[in-house]
Amino acid sequence: MQESLETLREEILDRVAHCGSEPELDHLRVEYLGRKGRITLLLRGLREIPAEERPQAGEQLNRLRQLVEEQLEARLAELKAREKERILREERVDITLPGSRWERGQIHPLTLVMDEIIDVFLGMGFEIARGPDIEDDYHNFEALNMPKDHPARDMQDTFFVSQERVLRTHTSPVQIRVMESRKPPLQIIAPGAVYRHDDDATHSPMFHQVEGFMVDGHISFADLKGVLTHFIRRIFRAEIKVRFRPSFFPFTEPSAEIDIECMLCGGKGIPKDQQVCRVCRGSGWLEILGAGMIDPQVFRFVGYDPEKVSGFAFGMGVERIAMLKFGIEDIRLFFQNDIRFLRQFACL
Amino acid sequence: MKLTVHWLKEFVSFRGSPQKIAEALTMAGLEVESLVPLPAEGEGGNDWLIEISVTPNRGDCLGILGVAREIAALTGEHFRLPPTSPHAGDPTLKQVIDVKVMHPRLCPRYSARVVQSVRVAPSPSWMQSRLEACAIRSINNVVDVTNWVMLETGQPLHAFDLARLTSKRIVVRRAGAIKKFVTLDGIERQLAPEDLLICDGDAPTALAGIMGGEDSEVRTDTQSVLLESAHFDPLTIRRTAKRLGLHSEASHRFERGVDPEGTLYALDRAVFLLEKMAGGIPLKGVVDRRARQKGTKPILLRTEKVKGLLGIGLSPKETERILKSLGMKIQGRTKAGLKVMPPSFRRDLTREIDLIEELARLHSYDRIPSTLPLVQPGGGKVDAPLRWERKIRSFMVGEGLSEMVNLPFASSDMNRRFCGIWQGQRSPVAILNPLVQGDAEMRLSLIPGLAGNLGAHIAQKARGFRAFDLGKVFSLDPKGVPEERECLAGIIFGRRERKGLRVMEEPPLTLLDVKGLVEGILELAGVEQSTVWTIPDVPSCLHPGKAASLQFVDGSRMGYVGELHPDLCEELGLPSALIFELDIEGLVQYAPRQLTVRSLPRFPSVERDLSIVLEDGFPAQQIVSWIKEQFNHSLIEDVHVFDQYKGAPVPEGKKSLAYTISYRAKDRTLTDAEVNSLHRDLISRIGEVFGAQLRE
Ligand SMILES: [Zn+2]
Repeated sequence: MQESLETLREEILDRVAHCGSEPELDHLRVEYLGRKGRITLLLRGLREIPAEERPQAGEQLNRLRQLVEEQLEARLAELKAREKERILREERVDITLPGSRWERGQIHPLTLVMDEIIDVFLGMGFEIARGPDIEDDYHNFEALNMPKDHPARDMQDTFFVSQERVLRTHTSPVQIRVMESRKPPLQIIAPGAVYRHDDDATHSPMFHQVEGFMVDGHISFADLKGVLTHFIRRIFRAEIKVRFRPSFFPFTEPSAEIDIECMLCGGKGIPKDQQVCRVCRGSGWLEILGAGMIDPQVFRFVGYDPEKVSGFAFGMGVERIAMLKFGIEDIRLFFQNDIRFLRQFACL
Repeated sequence: MKLTVHWLKEFVSFRGSPQKIAEALTMAGLEVESLVPLPAEGEGGNDWLIEISVTPNRGDCLGILGVAREIAALTGEHFRLPPTSPHAGDPTLKQVIDVKVMHPRLCPRYSARVVQSVRVAPSPSWMQSRLEACAIRSINNVVDVTNWVMLETGQPLHAFDLARLTSKRIVVRRAGAIKKFVTLDGIERQLAPEDLLICDGDAPTALAGIMGGEDSEVRTDTQSVLLESAHFDPLTIRRTAKRLGLHSEASHRFERGVDPEGTLYALDRAVFLLEKMAGGIPLKGVVDRRARQKGTKPILLRTEKVKGLLGIGLSPKETERILKSLGMKIQGRTKAGLKVMPPSFRRDLTREIDLIEELARLHSYDRIPSTLPLVQPGGGKVDAPLRWERKIRSFMVGEGLSEMVNLPFASSDMNRRFCGIWQGQRSPVAILNPLVQGDAEMRLSLIPGLAGNLGAHIAQKARGFRAFDLGKVFSLDPKGVPEERECLAGIIFGRRERKGLRVMEEPPLTLLDVKGLVEGILELAGVEQSTVWTIPDVPSCLHPGKAASLQFVDGSRMGYVGELHPDLCEELGLPSALIFELDIEGLVQYAPRQLTVRSLPRFPSVERDLSIVLEDGFPAQQIVSWIKEQFNHSLIEDVHVFDQYKGAPVPEGKKSLAYTISYRAKDRTLTDAEVNSLHRDLISRIGEVFGAQLRE
């Protein structure tokens, strides 16, 4: 008995250790521990052995059963772990296959640039105002110090809707509309579409401007320089060179045009290879903004006292800024709306 | 304005390269547009041609002397005038020519001299080449001298053949009854009564300040020349030049204001050159008809004002230095500031602010500091319209539509086909001078632009196209006043593209996809509950069976969705695309101003489906409305359609609709028995009301 149990134990342990799968293990469990299993039968056979040997034999058998159960469990856990490992080893996705998602749309680059401009000014505490695209002669010209028959009107080729109404040639009339209805202090930007009777690689009959102005008791030309320099550095880069030079607009005095150093030639104009830079045409500078102190006459038109308030105004072309930022040479690309063009701005 | 560096150097000496001078001019407000070397001219090395873009306020710089004065002011160098043949009193001139100015306001000054015995011939080549470099065609020595002096002084001159002025009486008058005049370019001009003419007695001989006439022009046989150096009213010249489309070097200058004190100097300079170039013998005398003038008062320039406006104080010394360098006279010094008299050639300087600009300009904008003003609170916020725009754009982009920016012009044909949110109730805004004759109106709808974008992409073999435009449309209101409306429109065609492996083909887009886009907009505006879809009067550009209008519960129109009408697609060569257009400006006015959040339910809901077979034309929404409004049970939380099916086993002409009903009690978990009994009740009532077969 002693010996045969020992042999059985060896046999079972050996078979469990070599068992390679869960069904095989289940099979072994039935074979030894099932209702007709060998250990079960041996336990049942205890009744037939002499009473004085029974407790010892019973204990030995029970220990064997317990050992077998433990071994089966351990082997099962081992097999499950091995199976999991196998699955993890074998289940693979080719990560070089394309990911799957819905195609997104693209916001127009002009909107993106417009938003960027707006956000810089919002960050400086400006607020937004808007005006009509179809503007009357008074707001578009007259109140901006451009009386009928003034040569300054030649600077802006105009679309006429009637004798008295035009497609606004700039966003400056919003200045007038805001000042007519509100009192200083004002710090406003007015984004929008404007129209000029013009069509070539650098001019579109419709384009976008952002007008801005600030009016209060003591606003100076130095403030104009500060605000616009800050703006330019935010839109382009912090160390870009900026210059202010005198110019003329009928509704500002003193007036300025603001240039940034050319991004293509780095402000050199005529780089070493002697080829005149095609972006700045050799000057090394690119015009980016028009600005000036609001003319006292404009203040009188809106009923402000130029002795009590002062202010500056500025205007910029959104397309021009976008063209310079991204090296776009033909303005018409913006209005062709080719998806292949638009998609390039996905990362902006 | 074109000039050469050598010419400039005759009047002001300056050191430094042409590039340096160009830079200095640009930084003083005379923007140099180009600087190019001229072919070698011999002595003095290569000359350079400078092109300056002269702003409309600086008429004085339409003469080289003006530019030279500017350089002298900028550099402190000495400025010198070129030599003249001075006039002197000589009463005998009256017998040669008489001048009568009928309208002194339109011609405040008329000066003239006579040069006899000129020999008309070609100009020497140096004169010709310089004139031509400055874009003036060389004619003959007499005409060339007048142009030369105009380039130098900015004062336009005109030379008449004295022999051809038969009456010997110059009359400056309005055209009045004179209807026609042949200018020296041989073109017959139609005159308006208010045009200003120079007449020889009664016969017109020049269009004042614009162009001379053919008859009195200087020719090879001319012997005596009458030189006119006058000053005309800028507006009168501008109106006539504009109306006739006749823009000359002379009119350009008169429009921008010529120095009224400069007429005699220019005459004397021209006479000097005629003596040298054409061997002429001048008469000493001069005609100088001059309107009585108001005395000009000095301008008070306040130190405080300068400081306040520029943000930097200038020392009295610097201030006076700048003013004097520009030819201004200090007529008095007070505590407040200076009394300043600008020179006659600076007609743009009439106010204190004009002087402040000159101070800033000459002191240099670069030397004015940059400061950041104190900003008043209240701004810095993305306002409602911008917030809406940004929300809408990001929704559209997430739905796979790309943003288009189209020009807002349209042909009347397109405006007739696509009349947008006003649905034919409005007429379009016409443009009087369109760039392209075909596109002579402002768009009534954003759809033509989007349809064009679709067409362009189809031409490039795109398989699908999804785009939107958020922009203005324009119409005339019932009073004929233009109205603008911010609209949103979209166009979708093909299948929605999925990136990656093609596991299954996406179904083609349908009307429900475009309706879904609009519902998304309504949801983000919080107005889904206040809108209704209506079938009648959908725009005629749409397929009548696949279209709907959107209205607010108060009846106002908000837009439409639909499939493009097949006839229209055929005519325009477009595939059948789905479109929508919404009056965004109107729509957001209905958006709730305040959001109130409800607490979440504490007890679970129970869902039951029901399916019903109805006539094919039956609108699915009716059942939903009936359950919500008529059946209206407090335990029914929500009802929605989830399926529509046609085909076997559903009989021909019928369809099966399937709905999900959500039941929920606020205060307890509903039992199955409770829900089942309520659902059965609902089913039998629907059966009665709609006479339909139902399946649970
Ligand atoms: Zn460059």
